[in-house]
Amino acid sequence: MNDVEIHSRTQSGRVHAAGVAIKDLRKSYGSNEVLKGISLDVAPGEVVCLIGPSGSGKSTLLRCVNLLEQPNEGSIHVGGFDATDADVDIDKMRRKVGMVFQQFNLFPHLNALRNCTIAQTKVLKRPQAEADKIARANLERVGLGHLADRFPDQLSGGQQQRVAIARALSMDPELMLFDEPTSALDPETVGDVLSVMRNLAKEGMTMLVVTHEMGFAREVADRVVFMDGGVVVEEGSAEQVVGSPTQGRTKEFLRRVLDPTHIEIAE
Amino acid sequence: MAMTARQRARVSLYVQAGIFVVAMAALILATDWKTLTTNVFNFGKIGPMFPDIFFSGLKNTLIYTFLGFIVGLSGGLLLALMKLSSFPLYRWIATGYIEFFRGIPALLVFIAFGYGVPLAFGVQWNVAVVVMVSLGMVAAAYIAETLRAGLQAVPKGQTEAARSLGMPQWRAMVTIVIPQAFRIVLPPLTNEVILLTKDSSLIYVLGLTAAQYELTKFGRDGISSLGAGLTPLLVAGAFYLVVTIPLSLLARKFESRSARTKR
Repeated sequence: MNDVEIHSRTQSGRVHAAGVAIKDLRKSYGSNEVLKGISLDVAPGEVVCLIGPSGSGKSTLLRCVNLLEQPNEGSIHVGGFDATDADVDIDKMRRKVGMVFQQFNLFPHLNALRNCTIAQTKVLKRPQAEADKIARANLERVGLGHLADRFPDQLSGGQQQRVAIARALSMDPELMLFDEPTSALDPETVGDVLSVMRNLAKEGMTMLVVTHEMGFAREVADRVVFMDGGVVVEEGSAEQVVGSPTQGRTKEFLRRVLDPTHIEIAE
Repeated sequence: MAMTARQRARVSLYVQAGIFVVAMAALILATDWKTLTTNVFNFGKIGPMFPDIFFSGLKNTLIYTFLGFIVGLSGGLLLALMKLSSFPLYRWIATGYIEFFRGIPALLVFIAFGYGVPLAFGVQWNVAVVVMVSLGMVAAAYIAETLRAGLQAVPKGQTEAARSLGMPQWRAMVTIVIPQAFRIVLPPLTNEVILLTKDSSLIYVLGLTAAQYELTKFGRDGISSLGAGLTPLLVAGAFYLVVTIPLSLLARKFESRSARTKR
C-alpha cells in the first residue's frame, strides 16, 4: 500500500504533525471588529471543534489560519510557519493545511479524480501516474472510489463534500480545517461526511472544525471552544463545554441548538 | 357592444394583418421591377464570380477574421486581467484603452494603421498585418469587457479552493478560473466573431490587389466588371450569411449547453 510512501513525505517524519498556535488575534472589517483578541492552541493530532452562534467569528478565525482572511493583529503559527510574518511563503504553508468549505467549492470543469490530482501535479509537481494513484486511494478512503469519473454536478452534496475532503487529503496535509462542512447538506447525507471526518480523527489527523453538529463535537472532539461576539467564551473537553457548560452564553446557545423547538419566553 | 378579451384579440390580429397586406401591396406597386431585375436581381450575369468568390473573397474574409480574432482574444484577455488587477495603473490603462477603442469607428482605426502608422514609421505593412492589428485592437476592447464579466462570474470560492491547495494566484487563474470563465463567455464570444466577420470588410479603405480581396471588396469589384448592377454585392452578402448564421446557431447551442451544466 502506498500509505507509507505518502506519509514518508511529511517534513518532520511524523504523520499529520502540524499544530496551530494563535495569539491575541484581531480582525476587523472597517469599524466592525469580528475577532477581538483570540488565543487558541491546537496540538498536533488534536481535534478541536469551534462552536458558537452565527456571526461569532468562528469561520473568520478558521479562514485566518490559512490566510484566506488577513488578520490585523496578533500571530498565528502553523507547523513551522509564522503565518503573520510578511515574508512567509503562503503557498508553501497552505500545502500543509487542507481546507474544506461549506459550499464544497469543487472545480466544476474537472471530474472527481482530476479535482484530486490538479494541485498534486501543478503544485507538488508529482507525475500524473503517481497523482492518480494517490487521488484514487483518497477517493477510496472517503468511500467514493467508484465515482472517480463523475463530474461535481453528477454528485450529491454529501458526495461532493467527500470528494472535497479527498482533494484536500491528496496534498498530504498535516492539518485539516473544516468550515461548517455539513451545513449545506441534505440531512440524509450528513452522516456519510461526518463518518469520514470521524475516521480521519481516529487516524490522528490534526483537525480544526467549525460545526453545528453537537453530537459530532461531543463524540470526536478532544476539545470544544465556544465563541461568541469575537471572543472565546468557554473552552474545555467536549464533556465539559457541551455537557455541563459554566457560562451563561454557552448554556443559552446550547439550549437553542439542542432544542430547535425551544421558544424564548420572557421570565 | 362589449367584446370578450378573446374577441378583442382576434379583431386586433385581423387589423394588423390588414395593415401588413396593404403595406406590401403598396411596396410591390411602387417598385420599379424592370430596373430591379437588371440592376439588383440580375443573377444571369454573375457566373464569372464563381469559383473565385470562394478562393479569394470568402477565403480572405475568413483569414482576416481569424487573424483579428487571435489578436483580439489575446489582447482582450490581457486587458481583462489588467482591469481586474489590484494595481491601479493597470486598471487605468485598460479602462482608457477599452473606452477609446470602443468609442471610435473601426474605420478610423483601419485608416490609422493602414496609412498613418506606416507613414509615421516609414514601414511597409502587408495587408494581412493591417487587418490583424486594426481588427484585433478594436476586437480586444470589446472582448476584454466580455472576458472581464466572465472572470467575475466564476464564484470567489473557486479561487479560495485553489489557493488553499497551495496554488499561487496566477496558477489558480490559469488552471481554475480562466477555463471556467471561457465556458461562460463562449456564447458572447461567438457573437464577437460574427461582428469581426463583418468588420473585416473595412480593409477596403486600403488599395488591395485582387488576391487580397475579401467578400465586400470582391462584390464591389463585380459591380464594375459584370454589368449586373448591384447584384454581385447581393451575392457577397449571401456569403456573409453562410458564415454568420452557423456561428449564430453555434452560439445558441453553447448557450443552452451552459444553462444545463457547468462542464
